[in-house]
Amino acid sequence: MDVQQAAEDLRKRTLSDIPRSLDRLIYLASMRDYNTGLYYHDGLASRFTQEVACEALADCHREAFRQLVGCSLQGLVGQMKAYMDSTHTSPSEFLTTWTRLEPYRVAVPVETDALSVQFLFSSFRIALAILGARLVPQRGEPGA
Amino acid sequence: MIQLIAFLFVGLLLFSSVFFLMRRNPRPEGRSGALVEARQALNALQAGLLPPELIERIFAKEDLEYVMGEAPPNIQTLFLEERKKTALCWVNQVRRQILSLKRFHLGSARFYARLSLKTEIELAMDFAVLLAACRALQVVMYVGGPYAAPKMVDSTAAAAARVCRISEASLDFLNPAHLSTLNGPSAGAARL
Repeated sequence: MDVQQAAEDLRKRTLSDIPRSLDRLIYLASMRDYNTGLYYHDGLASRFTQEVACEALADCHREAFRQLVGCSLQGLVGQMKAYMDSTHTSPSEFLTTWTRLEPYRVAVPVETDALSVQFLFSSFRIALAILGARLVPQRGEPGA
Repeated sequence: MIQLIAFLFVGLLLFSSVFFLMRRNPRPEGRSGALVEARQALNALQAGLLPPELIERIFAKEDLEYVMGEAPPNIQTLFLEERKKTALCWVNQVRRQILSLKRFHLGSARFYARLSLKTEIELAMDFAVLLAACRALQVVMYVGGPYAAPKMVDSTAAAAARVCRISEASLDFLNPAHLSTLNGPSAGAARL
């Protein structure tokens, strides 16, 4: 019950400001310790307990992952474009980095089924290619 | 001479009986391994491979229409390759897990679940049809791509879901609620 309350609290106070599921996925993955796999959020832990906060963050992370897997390719391209714009990086730099480093690989929650993960990674690759193709005419334009 | 043949016949009969008994793997650890494997296969199918929303997404025509309408030819090729890989992976995994469930039903299910003869025959038919359908789907997708047989995908998923429901009934006693009942003091006393 506490975990549900904490997850609801997180949705209301923090995640409501992050409307896109791609942004949520990346944000929630950044709350996870790479070495232990545990999630940390000081505000949430102070209102509940560290264990409850960790579980609530993990729940919301899985939820964001499911939402992204259920998103159409067109929707994913739109989300990726919006995320790219929000980073204030040059689009070509962003696309090169995401294509080479594949940072989305570390944004996946644990205990997700392999096929969903494979499908999402595959969709990311296609979405990056579509955004890259849109960028090519811009690169060729005079003064671009 | 007749006595020798009779002795040899009885010996052969005994030997084959021992051989088949050994093949049935009656050791408890062997059976529990089969149970765990079956439970994992069932979970993988129900949670990972057969949810309708995932199947809908993998084989979504709207994604194909979007890419064909918006993207240049090289990305269209990339898209079809990527979706083909995922679709083949899906059908391979479904087939593997169904084989695992079939092994469980052939080897161990009768020790734990009292399925009627009619259900056992229906299940055997379901397994046979399903495995053949998976093979056919693999060939069709390999040759024609991920969007070649949408109705076949739907019918395979529906048949797999039906097999899962029957298998779930066979493995029902492994559910946490049932286990807690078994582990409870009254159940323990009753068993003692």
